[in-house]
Amino acid sequence: MIFARLKSTEEFKTVANGLWRDHPIFSMVLGICTALAVSNKVDNAIAMSAGTTFVLVATAIIISLLRKLISTRVRIITFMIVIASFVIIVDKAIEAFFPSISEALGPYIGLIITNCIIMGRAEAFYIQNKVHLSILDALANGLGYTYTLVSIAIIREALGFGTILGIRVMPAGWTNWVIMAMAPGAFFILSVFIWLSRTLAKIEP
Amino acid sequence: MKDKIRMILFVLILGSFLTSILLLVDSYASPIIKRNKILKIKKSILTALEIPYNNKNITGVFSNNIEIVKKKNKTFYISKNGDVSFKMSGPGVWGPIESAIALKPDLKTIKSITIIHQEETPGLGSRITGKKFLNEFKNKVITPEIRIVRAGQAKGNNEVDAITGATLSSKAFEALINNQIKLYLPLIKGGKK
Repeated sequence: MIFARLKSTEEFKTVANGLWRDHPIFSMVLGICTALAVSNKVDNAIAMSAGTTFVLVATAIIISLLRKLISTRVRIITFMIVIASFVIIVDKAIEAFFPSISEALGPYIGLIITNCIIMGRAEAFYIQNKVHLSILDALANGLGYTYTLVSIAIIREALGFGTILGIRVMPAGWTNWVIMAMAPGAFFILSVFIWLSRTLAKIEP
Repeated sequence: MKDKIRMILFVLILGSFLTSILLLVDSYASPIIKRNKILKIKKSILTALEIPYNNKNITGVFSNNIEIVKKKNKTFYISKNGDVSFKMSGPGVWGPIESAIALKPDLKTIKSITIIHQEETPGLGSRITGKKFLNEFKNKVITPEIRIVRAGQAKGNNEVDAITGATLSSKAFEALINNQIKLYLPLIKGGKK
């Protein structure tokens, strides 16, 4: 009963859409380039997801707060400068306080700017919705992106390096599948992931 | 007309607001980043010279154990037992690679090599920072030159196994080492008596 009422609220729909029905990676197929690039190790995937989620939430707050002031003709440039600013902040903060993570991710932090999920959500959602809904949407999409990246990374790191988070999980005689650490491995795993979840979510192609 | 002015004003105000935030963040973070970088270089030199240190006493250990010698704007770091270390840099696959090498007093044998900075493909080329790869260089001889050969085929005392799946990074690193040694070695040989 309570669940049924909860299910019909806008908040619930927003979260459910981000996490499952309109999942950024497998439903909208956005943010693929970063998903392919940094999903070879779990720690890279976590750092990248955290950065992306932070930028998503910050962008959601700014854009939804300003949504009545932004005229339609300058909305894209507004998204751009807001997203770019937050990405630079994330980049600087990681470089100052977590130099080792910054070393590991190299140029990929800067590439959050090009992550279409942020631009896509700003255009589709934050520009039209209230602040609290936008934050929920940002969190849900960030979490959707995170669990996808981390689960792909777990498979790729286990098969490609024999480790998860640097801890040995495969037996000693395990031969690393080098292809899993390389780009083709990412394509295989990601497409299997998209196929499975689209079938489960009953999304028509 | 009024709309256009409002639009321009909006972009200008938002732009300058975000720019000032960025300036603020930068002025706060830059000194920390700079300090991190200097520490990183000192750490790499100490690691290359195999002088023990912990994260708290890097600066102290560095100034107590290492003599800095400058030759034609190249810097050499010489430890008390005569090992010579210097920074090497050159192009990698995606971006620059910076590394530190330490040579034994005979100036022919590698004591060890560390990586200071690299932007190779995460998980592939980035493994040049791995202990397994770097340890291979220990006690190798730099004459006539270092060769990085197909994994598992290193035989000579100037040959090192490449990283499987990262041939280009291995090749880039090979070129970097040889080029930089050629550049630095004559200088230090002339200066050391």
